[in-house]
Amino acid sequence: MVARKKLGGALGEMFKTAMQRPVTESYPFGRKVVAERFRGRLDIDPVKCTGCSICEIVCPAGVITMVPVGMKTIGSRQVEVKRPSFELYTCISCGQCVDDCRFGALTLTHDFELAVFHKESLVMKKALVVDK
Amino acid sequence: MSDETGEERKEAGAGLMQYSPEGMMPFGPVHPSLKEPEYFKLILEGEKIVQVIPRIGYVHRGIERAAQERTWVKNIYLFERICGICSFAHSISYTQAVEAISPFEVPDRARYIRLVVAELERIHSHLLWLGLVGHWAGFDTLFMWVWKDREHVLDLEEEITGNRVHKSYSTFGGVRKDLPDNIGEKAKAELGYIEKRATYYKDLVQSEETLAVRTRGVGRITQETARKLSPVGPLLRCTGIGRDVRVEDPYAAYDEVRPEVQTSKDGDIASLLVLRLDEVLDSCRMVKEALEKIPAGPVKAAFPRTVHEGESSFHVEAPRGELFYFVKSAGGSVPERVKIRTPTMANLLTATEMLKGQTLADVPVVLTGMDPCFGCMDRVSVFDVAKSKGWSVSGEELREYGIEYYRRKRG
Repeated sequence: MVARKKLGGALGEMFKTAMQRPVTESYPFGRKVVAERFRGRLDIDPVKCTGCSICEIVCPAGVITMVPVGMKTIGSRQVEVKRPSFELYTCISCGQCVDDCRFGALTLTHDFELAVFHKESLVMKKALVVDK
Repeated sequence: MSDETGEERKEAGAGLMQYSPEGMMPFGPVHPSLKEPEYFKLILEGEKIVQVIPRIGYVHRGIERAAQERTWVKNIYLFERICGICSFAHSISYTQAVEAISPFEVPDRARYIRLVVAELERIHSHLLWLGLVGHWAGFDTLFMWVWKDREHVLDLEEEITGNRVHKSYSTFGGVRKDLPDNIGEKAKAELGYIEKRATYYKDLVQSEETLAVRTRGVGRITQETARKLSPVGPLLRCTGIGRDVRVEDPYAAYDEVRPEVQTSKDGDIASLLVLRLDEVLDSCRMVKEALEKIPAGPVKAAFPRTVHEGESSFHVEAPRGELFYFVKSAGGSVPERVKIRTPTMANLLTATEMLKGQTLADVPVVLTGMDPCFGCMDRVSVFDVAKSKGWSVSGEELREYGIEYYRRKRG
């Protein structure tokens, strides 16, 4: 058979790869090292956030909602203070909000383990507690 | 059982009377192996396919309409989700179309970076395709080797853009981040490895009989057919017609880093294997050349949030062929109209020609050979008109059938 005669072309490589250690990573036991620029879970520094709403405007996935957290007096006026709430289960990790945040409050972390039992646990409200 | 309703089945049966006593085999419509779900009615004469009737439009998701409701920047992320494999081709096509309305000069360094990422994407798309052809042809070893090597390119892409698939890297006025500092040396090492492997695979696909019997002379298209039906990309180039958008209408930095258009003459799946590997080797050369010639400077220029009134069209050479974007602006913060033509749309009729004259066992290889999309053949329904009976064959069964068919044929 012609096929069996010419199988030698792949056989050498087969033996070579058989001697090597597995290419796949034993993920749950050895943690995957991601690239430095990897875009994972979004995080916010509540101290730096000013509630300017730019992130809400630019977000293509509708992750961010501005929530009123209190009132502030500017001169003689009473102004509503807002802070962002993030529904991370719809986040596509594009990083547009990070690019557009001029106060450097938003970052994309290296955390990629976003599988949860209840999607409510992926709602990030930590910026809401700060009342400046 | 087939998912067709009783009436559809009756209709299909009535239409088939003219082909009697041949059989018909509906293929699709929702089929993960195809880029857009398509429905092929395969008219069979025994084992041989005599007629193929495609029907499209099953998952019209209204992306073009959705784009009219979203701002210019939000649309970048929407359009790159049309396709996972050529996501960067979609985003550079759209961003360059919008930049052409103004017109807007992109910094030189950004043009080079766009070329680098686009070519890396071509390498990973072609390697993915090669692995899939190996899988459907019953050569799973090749599939695993190739996909193992593809990881090197994906890692490189992740290093540069921050993600393996949806890169979200191109934006209006350039790219979002500069190249990482040490990327030159790393890319050189990884691409050297890919070149070595691609040369080996090129030799393997030409000498390995397991693959040759399933691909040589299979899905053949002539130059004449290609001229009539105008396929794009490798499907056109495998017939000997050397057309490539990167050469004919250079975008990004393709006027400075010139690609060599690869062609072959046979027009079958075997020649596509060699052609795509030649393109992988050429892309490796281009990335290395671009990284050497890349000028210093900014990677992004300030682009206004609103685009002034006008319209433009732009085409790029995606891994599968010419990808076309038409963008019209009424001067607001959202586009008035966006029209997209993906390469599979242009290649669909050619695929039907490729299927004619082939056996049922060749369907998975030929349809993968046109590179519709990746995935697995999950659901194929068979309808026998003579017995008025429908049944389904899973993709895996069809693959097993193809392998068994060739085993029997060769004794």
